[in-house]
Amino acid sequence: MTLLELKEGDTAVISRVSGGKGISARMAGLGLHAGKKIRVVRAAPFRGPLLIEDISSGARAMIGRGIASHVEILDEKR
Amino acid sequence: MWKSLTKSDNTEIVIALAGQPNCGKSTIFNAVAGFKVNTGNFSGTTVSYAETQVYIGGRTVRLIDLPGTYSISAIDVAERVARDYLLSGQVDVIINVVDASLLSRSLELTLQLMEMNVPMVIALNMIDDAQKKGMEIDIKALTSLTGLEAYPLIAVQGSGVHELFDAALRVSENGFRRVPPVYDRDVEECIARIEARYPSLLRERLKVDTRFVIIRLLEMDEEFERIVAEVDREFLEYVIENRRSLAEVHDWPESGVFASHRHALVLDLFEQVVSVKSRSGMGLSEKIDRFIINPVGGLAATVGVFFLMFAVSFWFGNLIAGLVEAPLESLGVFLMSHTSGYTAMLVSGVYDGFTAGVGIVLPYLVPLLVILSLLEDTGLLPRIAFMADGLLHRFGLHGKSVVPIIMGYGCNVPAIMAARNLEYERDRIITMLMVPFIACSARTVIILALAGKYLGAGYTTLIYLGNIAIALGVSSVLSRLSEDMSPGIIMDVPPLRKPYLHVVMRKVWVRIQEFLLFAWPVIAISSIALAVFSYVGIDEVINRVLSPITTFILDLPSELGITLFLGIFRKELTLIMLNSALNTADVSTVLSSVQLLVLVVFTALYIPCIATISTLWKEGGWKVALLSIALNTTIALVVAGSLAFLL
Ligand SMILES: Nc1nc2c(ncn2[C@@H]2O[C@H](COP(=O)(O)OP(=O)(O)OP(=O)(O)O)[C@@H](O)[C@H]2O)c(=O)[nH]1
Ligand SMILES: [Mg+2]
Repeated sequence: MTLLELKEGDTAVISRVSGGKGISARMAGLGLHAGKKIRVVRAAPFRGPLLIEDISSGARAMIGRGIASHVEILDEKR
Repeated sequence: MWKSLTKSDNTEIVIALAGQPNCGKSTIFNAVAGFKVNTGNFSGTTVSYAETQVYIGGRTVRLIDLPGTYSISAIDVAERVARDYLLSGQVDVIINVVDASLLSRSLELTLQLMEMNVPMVIALNMIDDAQKKGMEIDIKALTSLTGLEAYPLIAVQGSGVHELFDAALRVSENGFRRVPPVYDRDVEECIARIEARYPSLLRERLKVDTRFVIIRLLEMDEEFERIVAEVDREFLEYVIENRRSLAEVHDWPESGVFASHRHALVLDLFEQVVSVKSRSGMGLSEKIDRFIINPVGGLAATVGVFFLMFAVSFWFGNLIAGLVEAPLESLGVFLMSHTSGYTAMLVSGVYDGFTAGVGIVLPYLVPLLVILSLLEDTGLLPRIAFMADGLLHRFGLHGKSVVPIIMGYGCNVPAIMAARNLEYERDRIITMLMVPFIACSARTVIILALAGKYLGAGYTTLIYLGNIAIALGVSSVLSRLSEDMSPGIIMDVPPLRKPYLHVVMRKVWVRIQEFLLFAWPVIAISSIALAVFSYVGIDEVINRVLSPITTFILDLPSELGITLFLGIFRKELTLIMLNSALNTADVSTVLSSVQLLVLVVFTALYIPCIATISTLWKEGGWKVALLSIALNTTIALVVAGSLAFLL
């Protein structure tokens, strides 16, 4: 399952970031490593990015849908 | 291991501010140096390094402000600037600035910097935000675990800055105790194996710490791999072999295995240093944020911001311009009646420049700068990027270009540089070519002072919308020409922050100063030059050369040739020279409404100013600069020419 399949308000744990060194390095830079628990705060209109919150630190970042499709997750709960 | 610095007292100490984006490096720099560099509540405000000389505790310090970087393996152009500076071996002390409220993420870079084995202190900035989150940071524990002194700061209020720099100087004098991060046993064994074979030639070639180099190689750092390959291929093969087996043992991709170990260390360190008490409830800024990230709220905020930007500038500009008009005129009459001959020419040149600044440019410029500064400081830019990303995709761009585009409304030069934050070359080039279409403050002054005044709000709005449509059209076509695909946006969204009045005022003042110091003299000299030109008759030559454009395509008086020509140097000049070129006090008596519209549209789009061209050249090479000139001029001719033909 990928990040793209989550809805607003869903939480999940990142299990793997694929899609090349650049993408995983950027994700890691923002603290979004494998094992991190995240929440989808909002999905932007017009198929825009997802606003993701790192639950432990409260830090937020936006991730475009193309990249979100490379982020594998373990679905937690609604 | 003790590293002592045997520097005599009179040498300069180089202190570099390094840290992840948006942690307050530039704010600390400004607190020490006076307001010199721009700050803003988004990642990537600083894209090139800045330096200043300061005297602290009787020592000469060269203080360096670096762009933010998430890690030493820099990804975008701005990050590379930081990396290159840190690796250049010039830095005596690193001040590692961290956003204390994001400590776990920030420590990833801290550990990488520690591996460099350069004297370092930690600045725990934004301690106010950390407290709001209920975080308690055990600074003593942090120091004993890392060997680094750490100081809490609220840089934007100036608190903690003194103690920080005292510590940095102390570390530079007394040396520091190295406590390198220690990894799992198999990782350490791997490092030790490689270290045993480390070629001495490499030690001479690279000025940086051996262990650091090995770790860079284990992290697949391409630049280090290249250098090592040049010096000793076999050694590199050996490192790669070890890296592979490490990845296999841990079942991680080769590129991430080391980072995952470091990440584990960071988590461990964080747990030992930070305890989280209860969070305080949702503050005002969080409530506002909840509203803005809603589709309706976000759209309202975005449209509202643009409306405010131009409406306030126009309203305020007209008000002030109207107020100063009469006194300036009587000053002119007074000066003209008291001078004659060459002095009169000189005085009238200076007077024209002065009037242009006070009476035309500044009234519109100041409110625009205030609003742009508020946009930067509050953190609205990333939120607009969030809202606009989906829409921009249809035009081949994505949300990260929003920052350069909006900055472009102030000045195209920093906007083009801000494109350094885009990770992909394709996105960067398209954004760089798009920015010159954005009506910068100088062109906004022209639009507001001509279209706003003579054609009304409706046409002015149309001009702005048309301007954006053209810019988007350009990026859409360019992106279709490019074969590459952009993977899209990944961008930090910092919390909304309240703007500080002193910061906004200093930012606006710095930009006004730029206008006063650089633009004003150019305007005054051009005024004098125009007087001399018309005395000698050069203006007629220029007018005649340009007349195919002015009279034939644009259906404008040929006298405007010289003003459009001068506009290449500073866009304001087109407006400022208008009256004297047309020899009138009120251009609407000479130009019809259609001609005014054509003139405004043409100046909004045609060839970028010299400063913009040279920035394009520096940032993207001569091809990008030439392409930009060709694109802008062609589109300006086609659009303004069709307007002249059709209306
Ligand atoms: N709450 C709070 N805000 C701060 C503090 N220090 C700086 N800021 C704000 O944080 C934002 C980022 O500051 P900058 O100095 O531009 O950060 P930077 O590290 O230079 O950022 P980049 O150049 O993008 O890497 C600005 O809006 C500052 O006003 C602080 O101690 N507390
Ligand atoms: Mg900065």
